[in-house]
Order: sequence, then C-alpha cells, then structure tokens
Amino acid sequence: MSDPHPDNGGDFFAQFLDDYFAECDEHLTLVRRHLLALEEQVGRPDVDPALLDELFRSFHTLKGISAMVDLSEAERLAHHMESYLRALRQKEARPGVEGVETLMAATTVLERVITARRTGEAPPAIDTTVARLRALHSESAATAEQPAPLQTADASDTDAEHVRSPARPSGAAGGSEHARVWRFEFVPTPALSERGVNVNSIRARLQELGEILQATPHVRGDGGIVFEFVVATGFEESTFAGWHEDNLTYTPVEEATADTTEAATTNGRAALSSDTDEDSHPTQATPAASMLSPSNVVRVDLARLDELMRLIGALVTSRARLDESLKHLKRTVAPAEWRALQETSLAMSRQLRDLREGVMRVRMVQVGEIFERMRFVVRDLTRESGKEIRLELLGQETEIDKFLVERMTDPLLHLVRNAVSHGLETVEERAALGKPPEGKITLRAATSGDNVLIEIADDGRGIDAERVAARARERGLISGDERLDEAQLLELICAPGFSTRDEADRASGRGVGMDVVCSTVEELGGTLRLATEKGRGTRFTVGLPLTLAIAEALIASVGGQRFAFPQTVVREVIEVEASSVRVLENNEIVSYRGEVLPLVRLARLFDLEETTGDSFHVFVIGGGANAVGLVVDRAVGQREVVVRGLNDPLVKVAGVAGATDLGDGRVVLILDVAALKHSALGGRLAAGIGTAI
Amino acid sequence: MVTASLRALPGASFGEASSGLEAIERLALAPVDLMILDLNMPDMHGLEVLDFLRRHRAYSRIPVIVLTTRGDEPRRAEALAAGAALYLTKPFAPQSLAAQAEALLKAHPERA
Repeated sequence: MSDPHPDNGGDFFAQFLDDYFAECDEHLTLVRRHLLALEEQVGRPDVDPALLDELFRSFHTLKGISAMVDLSEAERLAHHMESYLRALRQKEARPGVEGVETLMAATTVLERVITARRTGEAPPAIDTTVARLRALHSESAATAEQPAPLQTADASDTDAEHVRSPARPSGAAGGSEHARVWRFEFVPTPALSERGVNVNSIRARLQELGEILQATPHVRGDGGIVFEFVVATGFEESTFAGWHEDNLTYTPVEEATADTTEAATTNGRAALSSDTDEDSHPTQATPAASMLSPSNVVRVDLARLDELMRLIGALVTSRARLDESLKHLKRTVAPAEWRALQETSLAMSRQLRDLREGVMRVRMVQVGEIFERMRFVVRDLTRESGKEIRLELLGQETEIDKFLVERMTDPLLHLVRNAVSHGLETVEERAALGKPPEGKITLRAATSGDNVLIEIADDGRGIDAERVAARARERGLISGDERLDEAQLLELICAPGFSTRDEADRASGRGVGMDVVCSTVEELGGTLRLATEKGRGTRFTVGLPLTLAIAEALIASVGGQRFAFPQTVVREVIEVEASSVRVLENNEIVSYRGEVLPLVRLARLFDLEETTGDSFHVFVIGGGANAVGLVVDRAVGQREVVVRGLNDPLVKVAGVAGATDLGDGRVVLILDVAALKHSALGGRLAAGIGTAI
Repeated sequence: MVTASLRALPGASFGEASSGLEAIERLALAPVDLMILDLNMPDMHGLEVLDFLRRHRAYSRIPVIVLTTRGDEPRRAEALAAGAALYLTKPFAPQSLAAQAEALLKAHPERA
C-alpha cells in the first residue's frame, strides 16, 4: 500500500475498503469467540489476562482502522469498547454478566455499522449502545481512579449542579430520544421487604422506567448492602422523585454529553483520526497491519474430523474382534500369557475410549454459539413485531457435535421465530391478560447422559389445540372429536404443509416449517417433545445424541437375529408376561403405567420365526398416547456401537438406520425406531428384512 | 427441591432467592448462616455472588455450597478456589446435602 495516486484514488480507496472489511471480519470473529470465552470466566476471581489483552487489541485495531476509513460510528463504538477493556485489564472494573452482555450487544451494533458501510446503507443508531458502554466505564471510573485522561467529563458527578443542568447538546448522531442516565441506589431493609419493596420489585420498577444498563451490589462502610442500578430513561425526574420513601435515591450519572465529550475525544486523538483522511491512509496502513494478532486456533475442515472419527470407529471394531479372538485363545494359551494379553487388550480399550473422546471433544462446540445467533434474531424480531421480548439463555456452555449444531440451526431458528410470532402476545394483549408486558423466551441447553437437550420455551398464548384439531379435521387428518394430547398435537403440526395460519407471516414463514423441524430431529436420531398450556406458553424440547458416529445401543434378539436399538430412543425396557397381553381390535395391548400400550411384534414385522415363551421383553418408545412397545425375545445387553450408514439400495429399507459390527464379525442392523413405529402402525414395512441380513 | 432436602435440619429456617441480587439482598434482611448457590442464575453468575461475599468482610465467613448441573472439574476447582466450602453436582442425594450443610454449620458455629 504505497502512495495513492490522485487519478486512481477511487480504485485505491475501494481496494483499501476491501482490506478494511476483511480485517474487520477477522477481528469481529475473534472478538465474538473471546467474548464467549470471557462469559465463561465471569465470576472468577481472576479472568485470564491474555483474553482481555486479545480483546483490547482487537478493539484497538478496529478503532484505528475504522478511523482510517473515516467510519466514525465504528470508531466511536470501538473506542468505548476499548476503554472498558482497558479498565478491565487494569483491574479497575471486574467483568460481570452485564459487562459481557453489553460488549456482545455492542459487537453486534459494530458489525451492523460496518455492514451498513459495505452495503452503502445508513448506519444504525449507536447512541444507546455508546451510553451503555459509557455506563459500564463510568462505573469503573467511579470505583477506581481515572482510567484515562479522556474521561474527565465522567468524573464530574461530584459537581451535581453542573451535571444536572438541563442543557442537552443538540444534534446527537442517530438522534436517540431524550434518554438520560441515572444512578439509582436502593438500600433494602426488613421493613421494606415486608411491604413488598425488595430488589426484585425495584428492578421491575426501574425496568418500566427505561433500560437498566447495569445492576451491581455494593457493601457500605457499615456492612450494609446497597444495590446500584444505572438506568437510561426518557422519563422526567419528577416521575421518580418520590421514590426515596422506598430507600431508592438517585443521582444523574452524566448529562448525555456524548457529543461534547466525543468531540474532545476525537480531537484528542488527532494522531489516529486526522480530519484530512487522504494523507492519513498511507501512514496508518503499516501500524494497523502489524497490529494483527496471530491466533493459536487452528481451523480444521469438519470432513477431516469425520475421517478421523471413521478411523477410530474402525479401531473400535478391530478391538472388539481382538477381544473375541482372545476369548477363544483362553483355552489354548498358558494362563499367565493369557492374562498379559488380556491386560494389554483392556488397556487398549481404555486408551481407545480416551482417543475417541478426545476427537469427539474437538468436534464439540458450545451451544452458546448458536444461542448467540438467536439473540441477534430475537433482537430483530422484537423490532419487527413490536412485541416486547426478553430472551433468556441457559446452559450455553453445553457442548454438542459441530455437525449437529449446523443441522439444528435452521430448525431452532424456526422454533424461535414461531415463539415470537405465534407464541407471544402483543404488549396490549398481555396487559389485558394480566401478564407482564414483556414476553419471555427461554433457550436452555443441558447434557443428560448421552443426550443434549435443547429447550425452546415461551410464556405466550400456548397452542390452541381446538384450532389445530379443527384444521386437521378439515384436512381429513383426524376424524371424530376426541381431545388431542400434546404428542398428537405435535404430530399434527409436524405434518407437512400443516399450518393453522392461512398466510404464513414473514417471521415464521421463512425457510423451514415445523415438518422440517421434526424430520431433521428424527434424522439426527433425536426426539422432539411438546408441552403447551393455553394462556401459559409452549415448550419444545429437542433431545439430540452427543454425536452421531458412535452410539450407545441396546442389543436385543428377535427370532434368532440380533438387532441394535439406539439407546436414546428407548424409554424403558419392561418384561411382559405372555398371559397379560390382551387383543383389542386386532391389536395386542398390555397395560403400562396405568395406560394402554400397543405392542408391535418385531419378529412378525420382519418375517422372522416367532418364539413362544412365558414372557418377553418390550422396549417402550415414544411417550404419552404415542407410546408403542416393540416386542423382542430378549434384551441381550448394552453396547457402544459404531454406526455405519447403509447406502446399498438393496439393504436400505425403512426401519433400518444403519449397521454395526459387534466384534464377532456378524453384521447387526441398527433399527430406526421412529420410522419403524410409523410404518408398523401403518403396516407398511418392507417384509423380509430378516433375509436381507 | 433444595429447600425440601434441607427440612431434615432441625431448627433451621430457609429463604429462597430467585436471582443473584435477591440472594445478596437476603444478607441485608436477616442473618444468614449458610448459603447454597446455584451457578446459573438470571442476573449474576453464581461465582459472582460468591466473589461478592468473599470480598466483603461482613459476609466472607458465610459457608457456601455451590450447586450446579455441571460436573466438570474446572468449574469445581474455580468454585473451591473462590472460597466455596463445597461443590455439589445435581442430581445429588438429599440426605447428603443435609448432612454436609449440618457439618458446615457446626464447623462455623459463630454466626458470621
């Protein structure tokens, strides 16, 4: 990047901008990753300083390069993010949940500012974000010494008269409303608490007032506790002047002096953002380039990890064979030698498991990545729908296979959009129902055994079962007017093309529908459950296996053949006395937990020889009225199996998910229980699976 | 649930808080002998609350049991380093929580 020639300055600048965008991209990616990591460390006594350094460096670079392309909004944002990070690095502030949230929000806005420049659109308003960042920063300035000479205006809250002066600078960029930032302090007492005035009610009250930028507990000199809330509000002081009776006092944090301070700040950094940008570009280019920090993260193509996993799968199978061979050797080899072999084999087995887990860990990403994306989506939808929405994310640190996350992104997006557009009511509707104006959407992830559960819940109107039933009758999907339980309801809304809305609205009509959600989950070997209550809300729970390549399976024998059942879908294994089976309209049923459980005899389904005994085992799959019992002769055991897909069209039939080798060389089919259930109930399963083995 | 499993403790009374700030407020409202802290709370991280306690002399002696659904070792080490007396992973046996709580209360008889 040498001197720009005046005649090709346009080209030069275009090229320069391209470099700028690429570099921004790189830094924003780093920032997001580091913020997620920082979120993980919130609350630790010592946050990894390297992390703060990295973030600081990224913001610093973003600020510098944004100044070079004269993108002042980006520069301002990055500047405030950098300032906060500086305070964190110098331990003048401690990173809290709010701080990280604010940085994340600011990162999104920063990205939008940069994208707007790229697409030639008007940049989004940044004042609220800047105010939030400043609130964080002034907080640290108030509790510690001045972090930087730039922030002198922030320290002026000692001079209350001056700060309280009503004069607002006009023409703030982006034109945000007359929001002022106040610092409220609440001192809880038992007497107040008895009156119902506590930190929760105060917080709710302040939320009504405007946006709570920060909430921090402090201990006073006498050991008493005081809560500090920094609130941006457009309300007049008179609104809350009377609240001191509730031990709630306030002081203005700063008159929204954004502009004046900003002007001073910008001038103070003449070296970075000179007014005449042409000649500043070439001189700035070199230092900016050298600021690029190397990262110690290696990007790996997922396909390579797949290959690695496949190789490990092959090893697992080989070891199982070795184990079988060892059993045969036992009789022919001297006991001492055999024991040595056996020990080596066991050690190998352990190491293999560690290796497998190691590779699996590499494939694992935090659900937080996908959740963060939802946060952005909800923010957009909030604006579009005019509803008030609070998104609660829980268990972001839960890890799941990268492949599964990728596949689940669209279905989860759909569920979240559904929750916003169909689930949550408008502010007015909620008020009429006596609900809090703000609707809540909760995304929760948790690990449960070998499964990851992802829950999408809203506290909206719930699914109207009667409407769904009416529509299903209309379309001939059901007959009669029996009441639908939640599992049936789910099945109906998952039917392809089924929608109770005649016009799919913008939010939920995009991309995929409920049918795709269901089929994706099924395809991934997962489960989908629905819980809904009219007026109270809806909750979808997606259960997914941790990984696809290797699964825990239950092995059962049916008519002399062995089959593997993915353990995640089997709810329970029960033993049934042959004499307790009743026949009802050609269906065999048993009573199970106070309900009726229809039985499906796999031997009959697969055209295998049916063994007759006094009792047999039943694998219960599905829940509620959808539960079905798969009859096997005997549950043989539980194994870790390597799943191999079946691609040969001759053996690829409905009801079979894949095949595995248990180590004795014989191929065992892994049953696709969901498909099996559907076809068994419809009686359409390809016969003769037994002979295909 | 947690409260229910502590009913076995004789002569103890319980308060529940639904958020980190509320938990801290409890300290101001009545003396607290023992705190059982979930890591995942809506407003503050459990370790933030713990850190708050430990940083302030008036509360630094309150024994804290950290409760979480996660069982991974790093968090456990962090919690213990931050001054948690005990780290329990859900699901836990109710009797064990009650017994541990009782032991901690006995070990810290002088109410902080």
